[in-house]
Amino acid sequence: MPLTPQERGPLLHTTDLVVALIILAICVVLYYVTTTFEEVSNLLAQNIPPEFFPQLVLIIIAILTLGVPFEHLLHKRRGDNIDSERSDRIKRMPYVTAALLIALVLGIPYLGMLLSMIGVCAVLPLLWGERRLKLIVPFALLFPLAVAYLFNKVLLVFFEPGILGIAL
Amino acid sequence: MEPVIEGLSLILLDPFNIMLIFGSVLIGVMVGALPGLSSPMAIALLLPFTITLEPVPAIAMMAALYCAGTFGGSITAILINAPGAPPAVATALDGYPMAKRGEAGRALGIATFSSVTGGVLSLIVFIVAAPALAAVALKFRPPEYFALAVFALSMLASISGKSSLRNLISGAFGVLLGTVGIHLTTGVERFTFGYPELTEGIAFVPVLIGLFAIGELLNQSQALTAHYERIRAHVTKLPDRNDLRLIWKTVLRSSGLGTFIGILPAEGSTVAAIMGYNEAKRWSKNKAQFGTGCPEGIAGPEAANNAATGGAMVPTLALGIPGSGSTALILVALIMHGFRPGPYLVQQTPEFIYAIFGAMLIANFMFLGIGLVGAKVFSQVTLIPRTILWPAVVVFSMIGAYASASDLLDVWIMLIAGIAGFIMRRHGFGLAPLVMGLILGSLVEEAFSQSMIMYDNRFLDLFESPIVVGFFVLTFISLFWPFAGPIVKRVVRRRGAGAEDS
Repeated sequence: MPLTPQERGPLLHTTDLVVALIILAICVVLYYVTTTFEEVSNLLAQNIPPEFFPQLVLIIIAILTLGVPFEHLLHKRRGDNIDSERSDRIKRMPYVTAALLIALVLGIPYLGMLLSMIGVCAVLPLLWGERRLKLIVPFALLFPLAVAYLFNKVLLVFFEPGILGIAL
Repeated sequence: MEPVIEGLSLILLDPFNIMLIFGSVLIGVMVGALPGLSSPMAIALLLPFTITLEPVPAIAMMAALYCAGTFGGSITAILINAPGAPPAVATALDGYPMAKRGEAGRALGIATFSSVTGGVLSLIVFIVAAPALAAVALKFRPPEYFALAVFALSMLASISGKSSLRNLISGAFGVLLGTVGIHLTTGVERFTFGYPELTEGIAFVPVLIGLFAIGELLNQSQALTAHYERIRAHVTKLPDRNDLRLIWKTVLRSSGLGTFIGILPAEGSTVAAIMGYNEAKRWSKNKAQFGTGCPEGIAGPEAANNAATGGAMVPTLALGIPGSGSTALILVALIMHGFRPGPYLVQQTPEFIYAIFGAMLIANFMFLGIGLVGAKVFSQVTLIPRTILWPAVVVFSMIGAYASASDLLDVWIMLIAGIAGFIMRRHGFGLAPLVMGLILGSLVEEAFSQSMIMYDNRFLDLFESPIVVGFFVLTFISLFWPFAGPIVKRVVRRRGAGAEDS
């Protein structure tokens, strides 16, 4: 049975409109980048040019994206809620966790890989509300050391020692 | 016969390989049982560990982990109503109610038996179909490969997930990521932004780890207080004669269905499990009991999801086209170890294919044992505090991304992919389609460029080949069916109603 205008709601889904605009902006920027690719020498000019395929894909993405703000209508007709996964606002913790990870990766050239791993194992549990130090301290020390030993000594992976020069 | 014996002996006669497979099965069942951790994530994290291994044990480990991870999800689906992995979602519908009424051991036994049967049957199909399909694929030229890869990408429209449109956009972004680096036919750098490390393209491993591990970590950071109610399972019982009589047809049907869905490019265990459940219900005489702890409701999805693992290996190895998200990762591992998956792999190193078959077969029997003996233990993994588990995942992710090239840029790529993955998932853009696009992207472009050289840039000449036409027809159907299917069904239903009225 067709939906009434009240059941259908607005034609454009606001959140999806924003999502679509962001994707389209990315496409425009990347399309511009493809126009700055180096010129191909005459010898190779009969081949498909290097920008052709990325441009084709970007155009396809842009065309598909045009449907995103209207997709909720199709879902409503099927009885689905397109917003079920994102009905709650993103809590503070993912932002804080992402910021911590970015800070730690920024710190790797200075701290080195081993200290950064110890940092993750010490700070992340505390950040996530773990208060049992008896659990955190041995975990933060022993687990990164064991992993570093495995990769460094057994699998022979070189570890960035950082400016402090701390490595296994 | 010689390659069969050689391949199987590579696995069976080497205690080291058996040990590695056993370890992978244990990890796989544990990861599968833990809500939030998934087989693709575990395979992505395992990739760096296998760098120094020989190809056979490396791929055997991943194949074993893939099978065991798919099964592991059923344990927590039955005992705590929290499917450890997406393919076990349908198992919880009847598994948990059965466990709740005091028959947890019976539910686990049915799940284990059905999983193993589905897995073994699909492996038989795999070992027969892969060489046959490879023999056909040997006749493929670049135009046919291009059409096949485009068809595989179009299948992303029907992969599990909420939106066909968003899956296609995800897949297209994956293809775009695949274009980073030097263009093969002209040598021009694309999207490298001045980073010499990107001239060889974006490394797969950091992207995969970021998408599956860091993205999920950010997601899990929102659910730190989640609490599961656990049902006690004293002992797992294999199905008795009455149960077997009830489920054998469902197991066989779902095994066939699961294998077929697995063989289809891009369709994985989750789709197979949902279809396995629906078909079990459709054919059952006890339809009303579904959802209340019906044995067929457990057997159907479990046989189908595990059968899809063997099926998915067929296109992965015979054509180089991933059958699912997890096999896409196995494909990456093959490439990392210097193989080019596809018909030549099957034709030139058949013993390798038989070794993978052997590893998956052993894995199935190993998790039969684990399912019967250790299900109770594995349900306890949910007791590991999340505040400890996820930092451990971060450590493995950082090392995993860094280890393959000892380059800090890869850790940044992992982090960016993780944040992007978190945002994408929230807005309904699938991660598996992005991975498939990333892997298929270079194949599509390479085959397209070669085809255009063959046909002197005349695109329409591609359609001279009936195989190309066939694949494009299938592409058209798979692209438009998710949108046109409901309309067609509605029209048919209306006509049926009209005919009845008249």
